[in-house]
Amino acid sequence: MRIAVVGKGGAGKSVVAGTLARLLARRGRKVLALDSDPMPGLSISLGLGPLTTAMLADAAEKDGNGRWRLKKGIGAARAVQRHSVLAPDGVRLLQFGKPELEGMAPLMGSLNAFYQVAHRLAQTKVLSGWTIAGDLPAGPRQAAFDWAPYAKFFIVVVEPTWQSVLSARRIGRIARAGNGVKVLFLANKVSGPSDTKVMADRLHAGLLASVPADDAAREADRLGMALLDYAPSSPAVAALETVAGELERRSGEGSVPGSSQIGDR
Amino acid sequence: MKIAVAGKGGSGKTTISGTIARSLARKGHPVLALDCDTNPMLGVSLGVGPEETDLLVAARQALDAGDLEHETSPDGIIETFGTSAPDEVRLVVVSRIDRANPGCP
Repeated sequence: MRIAVVGKGGAGKSVVAGTLARLLARRGRKVLALDSDPMPGLSISLGLGPLTTAMLADAAEKDGNGRWRLKKGIGAARAVQRHSVLAPDGVRLLQFGKPELEGMAPLMGSLNAFYQVAHRLAQTKVLSGWTIAGDLPAGPRQAAFDWAPYAKFFIVVVEPTWQSVLSARRIGRIARAGNGVKVLFLANKVSGPSDTKVMADRLHAGLLASVPADDAAREADRLGMALLDYAPSSPAVAALETVAGELERRSGEGSVPGSSQIGDR
Repeated sequence: MKIAVAGKGGSGKTTISGTIARSLARKGHPVLALDCDTNPMLGVSLGVGPEETDLLVAARQALDAGDLEHETSPDGIIETFGTSAPDEVRLVVVSRIDRANPGCP
């Protein structure tokens, strides 16, 4: 299963991506979580706390023509194996991150390495059984520039504000241009059925699911903790468990036999 | 007075800049509001209306389109591609991304 989480700033992309990554891992999957935001945040939602390392900072070099390429011997599999870090529930996290050195060169090296690894993931045999959950930065930019070519599902996180809905519509339109991509709108911070109805009307689309507005989610954010660690039995987590099951169903992968499936009921 | 508003997504940049723009206009300043986000929403917080904001033309894309000799002066660009917002604020959307592979925005 390959998903990318997109949406307007503050809609809850990282919380959705991080929580889904861990829930899918608990369901028996090998999960790679990708944070392609140069202002990283997924590590917090995964439960690693704030982590800014530019994990692929040294993975790229310039060729004779001044073009960036991955260094010899570094492909997608090696990048994951060597540079990703272990997060709770066995999730591997690979992030773009913030280069420590000032200036354009470290930034461009890091950016190109991450972009090229993202492009090779889908063709990398040893990762073929892996679930990939990508957390993209706010807005349409990375969807437009094909930063998540691995993704079969684009999950557009929307909160019940007009700005969030307009962003979601735009990002949805852009993501749909991808080959065989399915765009799914996930309502977040929903206060009741009227929110859900207004959002669906304004989106001109159905919703994958509604994640309720949840004080626990706000508090976890404030503390810099994973929602799954701070409030494992909160309504927001319960809703995301349902989403994890629904994604398994829609991807045709079903559940993994013999795994602990706290999301199933 | 020239100000820029920046911050993390969802922290309230657009609401704050739109409200500051209108407050300054009400005090009698001529105000130019520039939406420099490639996902432009400033029209919403200025009071232009959400659907109307979604239809606003971005200056960059407008200048790129067509074969006509384009406006070269900033004043001309503001006049031709800008929109009137409440309290006589002039809103110009600088650039937007609304399709895949948009080239350099």
